[in-house]
Amino acid sequence: MKRSYILSLAMPAGLAMLTGLAMLTGLASCKKFLVQTPNNELADNVAIVDASTANAAIIGAYNGLALYYAGNYETLGTMPADNVIFNGTLSQYLQLDQNAIPSDNVTTVAAYQEIYATINTANSVIAYVPGVTDPNLTAAEKSQYIGEAYFIRALCYFDLGRGWGGVQLELKPTATLSQLNGIYRSSLDSTWLQVHSDLINALQLLPEDATTRNRAQKSAARALLARLNLYSQQWDSAEYYSTQVIANTKYSLVRPYKTFFTAPFLSAESVLELTYTTADKNTFWDLWYPSSLGGQYTLKPSDTIVSQLNDPTIGGSRNALLAGTAPNVYGVLYNQIATSTDPAYVIRIAELYLIRAEARAQQNELSGAVADLDSVRSRAGVPLETNTSQAAILLDLERENSVEFAFEAHRWFDLVRTQRAGAVLGLTNTDYWLFPIPLSDVNSDPDVVQNLGY
Amino acid sequence: MKNLSLLAGLLLVLFGHLNARAQEPPGDRLITGKIAAEDAGQGLSGVSIVVKGTRRGVSTAADGSFSVRLRAGEKALIISYAGYETQEVKIAGQEKVTVLLVRGNRQLDDVIVTGYSTQNKRFIAGSIASVSGDAIKDIPEAGFNQLLQGKTAGVQVTANSGVPGGGITFTIRGNNSINASVQPLYVIDGVFVSTAEPIQTGEGNQEQSNPLADINPSDIESIQILKDANATAIYGSLGANGVVIVTTKRGRLNTSPVIAFNTYHGWSNAIKQFKVTNGPETGLLTNESAVNTAIDNGQNPATVVLPFPDADTLPTYNRIKDIFRTASTSDYELSTQGGTDKSDYYAGLGYLRQQSIVRPTDYERYTARFNSDYFLTHQLKIGESINITRTWRNPSSNDNNPQGVINSALFTRSYEPIYNANGTYARYGSFDNAEALIKYLHNNATGWRTIGNVYAEYAILPELKLRSSISIDYNDEYENDYASTEISAGIASNGLANSYETKNTVFLNEQVLTYIKSFGSNRQHSINALIGNTFNSVLAQETSATGTGFAANSLTAISAAATTTGSSTSSTSDLVSYFGKASYTYDNKYTIDGSIRADGSSKFGASRRWGYFPSGGITWQAGQEEFIRDLHFFDALKLRASLGLSGNQNGIGPYAAQGLWTGTGINYDNLAGIAPYQLANPNLTWETTRQTDVGVEFAVLKNRLTVVADYYDKYTYDLLLNVPVPSRSGFTTYLQNYGAVTNKGVELSLQSVNIKTREVRWTTDFNISANRNKVVKLASDILQGASGRDISILRQGYAVNSFYLYKQLSVDPQTGNAVYQDVNKDGQITSADRQIVGNANPRFVGGLNNNLSLGAFDLGFLFYFQQGNKIMNMNDFFMIHGGTQKNIGFVPRQLDRWQKVGDKTDIPRMTTYSANPAQNDGAANNYGGNVASESTRYLENGSFIRLKSVSLGYTIPSDAVRRLHLGSARVYVSATNLLTFTHYLGLDPEVSSQSNNQNTAGYDWATVPQPRTVQAGLKVTF
Repeated sequence: MKRSYILSLAMPAGLAMLTGLAMLTGLASCKKFLVQTPNNELADNVAIVDASTANAAIIGAYNGLALYYAGNYETLGTMPADNVIFNGTLSQYLQLDQNAIPSDNVTTVAAYQEIYATINTANSVIAYVPGVTDPNLTAAEKSQYIGEAYFIRALCYFDLGRGWGGVQLELKPTATLSQLNGIYRSSLDSTWLQVHSDLINALQLLPEDATTRNRAQKSAARALLARLNLYSQQWDSAEYYSTQVIANTKYSLVRPYKTFFTAPFLSAESVLELTYTTADKNTFWDLWYPSSLGGQYTLKPSDTIVSQLNDPTIGGSRNALLAGTAPNVYGVLYNQIATSTDPAYVIRIAELYLIRAEARAQQNELSGAVADLDSVRSRAGVPLETNTSQAAILLDLERENSVEFAFEAHRWFDLVRTQRAGAVLGLTNTDYWLFPIPLSDVNSDPDVVQNLGY
Repeated sequence: MKNLSLLAGLLLVLFGHLNARAQEPPGDRLITGKIAAEDAGQGLSGVSIVVKGTRRGVSTAADGSFSVRLRAGEKALIISYAGYETQEVKIAGQEKVTVLLVRGNRQLDDVIVTGYSTQNKRFIAGSIASVSGDAIKDIPEAGFNQLLQGKTAGVQVTANSGVPGGGITFTIRGNNSINASVQPLYVIDGVFVSTAEPIQTGEGNQEQSNPLADINPSDIESIQILKDANATAIYGSLGANGVVIVTTKRGRLNTSPVIAFNTYHGWSNAIKQFKVTNGPETGLLTNESAVNTAIDNGQNPATVVLPFPDADTLPTYNRIKDIFRTASTSDYELSTQGGTDKSDYYAGLGYLRQQSIVRPTDYERYTARFNSDYFLTHQLKIGESINITRTWRNPSSNDNNPQGVINSALFTRSYEPIYNANGTYARYGSFDNAEALIKYLHNNATGWRTIGNVYAEYAILPELKLRSSISIDYNDEYENDYASTEISAGIASNGLANSYETKNTVFLNEQVLTYIKSFGSNRQHSINALIGNTFNSVLAQETSATGTGFAANSLTAISAAATTTGSSTSSTSDLVSYFGKASYTYDNKYTIDGSIRADGSSKFGASRRWGYFPSGGITWQAGQEEFIRDLHFFDALKLRASLGLSGNQNGIGPYAAQGLWTGTGINYDNLAGIAPYQLANPNLTWETTRQTDVGVEFAVLKNRLTVVADYYDKYTYDLLLNVPVPSRSGFTTYLQNYGAVTNKGVELSLQSVNIKTREVRWTTDFNISANRNKVVKLASDILQGASGRDISILRQGYAVNSFYLYKQLSVDPQTGNAVYQDVNKDGQITSADRQIVGNANPRFVGGLNNNLSLGAFDLGFLFYFQQGNKIMNMNDFFMIHGGTQKNIGFVPRQLDRWQKVGDKTDIPRMTTYSANPAQNDGAANNYGGNVASESTRYLENGSFIRLKSVSLGYTIPSDAVRRLHLGSARVYVSATNLLTFTHYLGLDPEVSSQSNNQNTAGYDWATVPQPRTVQAGLKVTF
């Protein structure tokens, strides 16, 4: 009896102590208990503070570039035109193919958002890296990172401009939403001016060309300046910058044609090529390959481009872009199916030849134009140019661009910039020559105006 | 923890002591007797008989007989049995007693579990529904939450698919939130269990598993569903979506051990199977599309090269029949329960194996439970509830994954051969080969779930109790998937293996001090009060690895891969809470109560971390008033009203308020990078639901008819909303407290005892509820759903889960082109003409449950119904494509297309013409154009009434049972989903294929339909 009595006293005492202890320790550590931080994210106030975070931030900007070039932007540059047709189930591709693009089209929305996210990262580098005082960050690295950020921002605004027209120019990293207020869409000319000014800054800050091809160096900025001037029809400047790049012995038209898209990559063809790794994949091939090879076969070369590429007088060795037999021909520009590490071909030296050819032709320097066109043709093993009139040469350049960059982000933008989309594609409503601003932006942004026709 | 092992040690010492004390003093009286139900006459087994003023007692044998010893001075027995009113029997001189127990009015009078306490329902101002464990038997579904369908008002339960153990949608009184969770809080034996879906195997947009299927429904004693703020405010920031409190079975003191064995076997098949056009029909439609397109393009149709010049000779390959099967289900359960005068116990083991009616998915579950309580002294009780579950699944793809079994079988054109000429599997377009997927699926998901609670309860005074407990919910899912080179996913990479280890752990420590006391003359004043606190920590950990490139398909471990990558993350969120509630009753008539909870959460900004959630309610037992009694109409009448606040923070990230740059997935050229991830919101705080509820409960006709009716009005504000922001910010959304949603509704439950004689008892339970949901404040429209097709919309002024489509008015009999409503009347069809055309929320849901017992036979049947919801039939969306999808076949409904002038149909003319996408009554918009098939012609009425279950049982008479040396035995047969009445044209109207987003309900997309099951079962006790 006595033992039980003692127990009945001891137990509640122990329990009360246990409870009290729990409550006390709880109260004391309550404040600390409620503060939790992640282990895979950085607080934004310590994001760019030293050499390693500055380096990581510019890598983040390249990652952004690599994200929208992992298929989305190439799709926008091809599908609305006539080289690539819809062969799958996902309606965003059908919409692009039919040029009936709603403002919530998945691909245009994703590209638009990914481009602006990249701009925000680049803006952060431009704004914060100059203030980093870490002695481990050399002056050369500092200038390189900032130069690369200017280049990346220029490419982003260029890609926005040619897809959507003049856009809102965000030049500061977003710290709060209120800072967005009052920034309206610029004209396309002002957008091109911003791209130009960023490229001039980049050209100053970027390192001289060495062997690197998958990060921006001075030639990449010059190449993009050449392309910008082509789009804005500054023919002499386009010729000037393309000549500078072509003259650089770092680059050459590789033979055979398929060399540049055959591993190992980063061939002499590439002025800027984005590299993907097993940790950072480019699965664009999946949209091109048939399911018997593990793909989705959503994008399919059109009958026209198939016959052109297979024509020895038009495609030549560029028929290496195709595989399979009719009717199941598929495109193999993106072909790393086992590892998903295909590069994105942002600027190839062949483009600089064709930019200069077009710039020269527009300035009526026809022999120089034909010489540049023939450089590209002879590499592909097709007969040289025989036409002699300016108009005919310009038309031949249009087709040459189409077959040379059949599955890269070119054909659609070329037809729009030369105002030929109506004649070639039958798309006479020029409203549809620009993509719609995403519906979520129209809804959430009082400062944006939708493109006409949407 | 040291203290706990000390407790355990003391427990052992004490047990020895208790046993030594079990002696019997002389001079006792032996009382024998029998206890039976007043309406059935049969003896009741397991009735608890306790000697008044002691804890000594016995329980009745199978025939209702008992014997108990009374000591000098002991004068009465307390007789209690679940579902019956407790009686006190005076023992004057007699030695034999016979007691008839009266069934209690369960709905109005039960003692039920509420937040942190138990209370008599009579004095509760909150709206609480109770379901007994017995009411959820005989349906072969793994999750108890799924079994609540149709059982109680105010709760909507939808199985998202027919996959066993698969995800369900469970909401109480409508969707309260947009981006935070709409799931209720589940409290199982005091443990706040995790409802995070642990399966990572990427399978489209469906939840693969129901995390609550880890609980064996047979272990459940009762379920309480707390619906209004008065009931849930005590759960503070966790209570806004309602609370489901599950109490599992425990033994009772003084009952002899009962061992029960329970088994059933069931066979399931599909009520309907998918139908597609045969080869010749597919060829014919394709030819027609080619000809029409040529005409639209101004070409001479005579020059068209037909895709199938000999369409009639096309073969047909039936892929559909190969994916369905008759699926079997087996279940075995063994349990025991009982108790001594100092302790009680329940132990249960269960095994369930269930096949899906669509190959090759299976589900397997092993459960073990042990619950016990020990009275160490008169004042101190300790105990525990432990549940251990192992599950196994082989998740298979569905809905929008073209490389899933159903997709590959359904969408592939029927004239395409299944095998290539060389005998290998043939694949077309984006689709895989269903046969290969079935044969080579190699996905294994193994779950280990431990839910446990250990408590100690000390009665400081008889009316003042302190309870402290420690709980854990540890959910570990280990998945190993291998895609071999025989299926699309593995072809390109030469074998692809994924491995995921996901751990969700909830840790909870809780202290509650309870004071219950009645005083004054005639105990006029009653007080029921408590205070307490909890510390709650939720830890989520994930590790994953991927390997590609395997030497052989028999090598499936990532260690054998040529290339491997891996990832791991973890996150923690904490919640500190203090709470109290008090209830005062005067004269058994008037009750006033109130509660408050303060919660501090690590998820929110430092300045807005704490939230306070008060509630109050009043109850009037009008039935106790003389003037009501004088009416001689009501046997009971209660009116109640309540008002309160509760909060919600579930479903948002643990670091949602912080400004962050992420390193996850940010790298370039094998260098690590960082990029902006989210903007800081230091003002981020709880979303709050204010709810008022008024209810009336009454019983009439001698308690034969019981009615409970409620009206509620919920207003949820400061929504945790991912507000879309301009993309030019570099972000797409910003989580902020913005927006509001209302839910208003009525609920009605009737419980009727239709026949009550000695031989026959027939009861009917009916419930119906109507909820009206409306988004009353939103920054801008939010569009989502159907893989970027944005068919679901959230818009101010409309309900959540609204469908946003072009309304097809007709198909022009002259042209055969679709005519859509031109909302803005500009003569064109553009995105401005898209409109809200209904939603996925039913206007009414309810159930009708009947139980009939006739001697030894029992018959039960349950109807479930919902009315007014719409379903977006994505199978039709894809398979009525007019020729635009070259690699997809057709459903027979495409054959109804317009063919010639004068045809009246809702399926437009076949064509792939694409010019003039804005033209109304133009060919482009038939299947493409601006409308892009986002047309109301695929939106259907999803209302249905279903005979959810019907069961017929036979309880073997007790003398026959005794000859077999058994306690009791029941055999039964039952059928599930036997009849469904609906206008829906798809396979089954109970479906939600996009269920991993609560705002995209109501899609039917290549999903396993609800199975029809017939089962036979046996339950015996020893």
